[in-house]
Amino acid sequence: MQISHIITSGFLLLSFAVASSEQLVAEEAEEFTATLSLAPEFCITSDEQLTCELTVKLEWKNRIPKPICILSDYDDMVRWCSQSAEVNSFSLDISTTEDIHFVMIDKATHETLAGVKLKVTPTAGPKVRRRYRNPWSLF
Amino acid sequence: MSIINGVMNRLKLIVLSCFLLPFFTWADTVLSCENDLECIEVGQWDLGVALGYGLRSNPLKDFNDIPIYAVPTFAYYGEYWYFDNGNFGYTLTEKEKFTINLATRFSSDSAYFHRWDPSNIFLAGGSTFETSSVTSAGLFTREDQEPSIDALEKRRFTYLGGLEAFIYTHVGIINFSLAHDMLNVHQGTEAQLKWIYNLPVQDWNFEFALRLDWKSEEIVDYYYGIRESESPYWSQHFKAKSALNTGMELTSTYVMTQDWDLLLLARYTHIADAIVDSPLLNKEYTSAFYIGSSYRF
Repeated sequence: MQISHIITSGFLLLSFAVASSEQLVAEEAEEFTATLSLAPEFCITSDEQLTCELTVKLEWKNRIPKPICILSDYDDMVRWCSQSAEVNSFSLDISTTEDIHFVMIDKATHETLAGVKLKVTPTAGPKVRRRYRNPWSLF
Repeated sequence: MSIINGVMNRLKLIVLSCFLLPFFTWADTVLSCENDLECIEVGQWDLGVALGYGLRSNPLKDFNDIPIYAVPTFAYYGEYWYFDNGNFGYTLTEKEKFTINLATRFSSDSAYFHRWDPSNIFLAGGSTFETSSVTSAGLFTREDQEPSIDALEKRRFTYLGGLEAFIYTHVGIINFSLAHDMLNVHQGTEAQLKWIYNLPVQDWNFEFALRLDWKSEEIVDYYYGIRESESPYWSQHFKAKSALNTGMELTSTYVMTQDWDLLLLARYTHIADAIVDSPLLNKEYTSAFYIGSSYRF
């Protein structure tokens, strides 16, 4: 009696797990509309080099390929639009001291699809510790 | 004489009060590294040189004072080890409110006997550090009627090593150190209690310090005692005892440019009676002053 109860419970649990994973895949597929990625995502500045000067590459993927536009708060590239649905990357030379936000929108509907940020991070300052003697302690 | 002793006794009381006061006014937060005198960059040499004029008085009878024209400073601090103006150390514990180090220090007393003692070698002064009476006439008398002292035997330099602690409080830093002769020169021990207070005023920084220096009988005997070969009379009549010196220091800097500072220094040490009683001394204090400009590389 007990053994059949355990087998029944196990079967129900397995069925629930399979059903849950199928539902998750379906939800992910439904939620995925577009992704926008950036490389590199970080730029580290130093005391000698306070400005980030680099070339970044934006890449995107849409569930249904379509022409897009990319907006940013970078003064030299406020808006860029692709000419066709087949284009899926864009390179940009950047010189900045601050973070830059990129937002991808649908060219036709202006619907926001995805966003990404270039993070500008200063290096940590030099490590200091207490000095135990006055520099002129030789006197 | 009695007035000076009275003043020094009061000074000892003030010094002790300064050491005890911080314990009753313990601060919740202690600021550190307020300027580049208190902090140093890890893994980088800190080099500098001061140019100017100063003088360190020599309490030994007939020994010349020590002129000071140029003084270098050099230090390197690693994660735990450090080297600071000729002294080595290893940090055992470093906390917000206290530090405990293993550390070495110079024997300051040997500096009075040798011009090129490590304590003096960095003070690029003249080379006239001979005694006038000991080396030339072989005489060293306290008063006319007292027996003379022949040429002195060597009083050697040594390194002392031991523990030191720093306690950081709202009203300054308390430094305690206990060190023993590491080179088996006199087998003596020194203890020091020091209160340090930094006062930044705009481009000026004033560092005040009060010191109590205790020297064991072995140290007093080695440096200030008289050997049988030097004077049979004084070797019998001067009996060394442990001694407690009292001192105060002022180190003030004024930032002139990014690299150049104006430097004003003053040191005063009242020598304990146990040392002053030695026939080698004719002063009960030693002092130093310096005025110049310093360049930090």
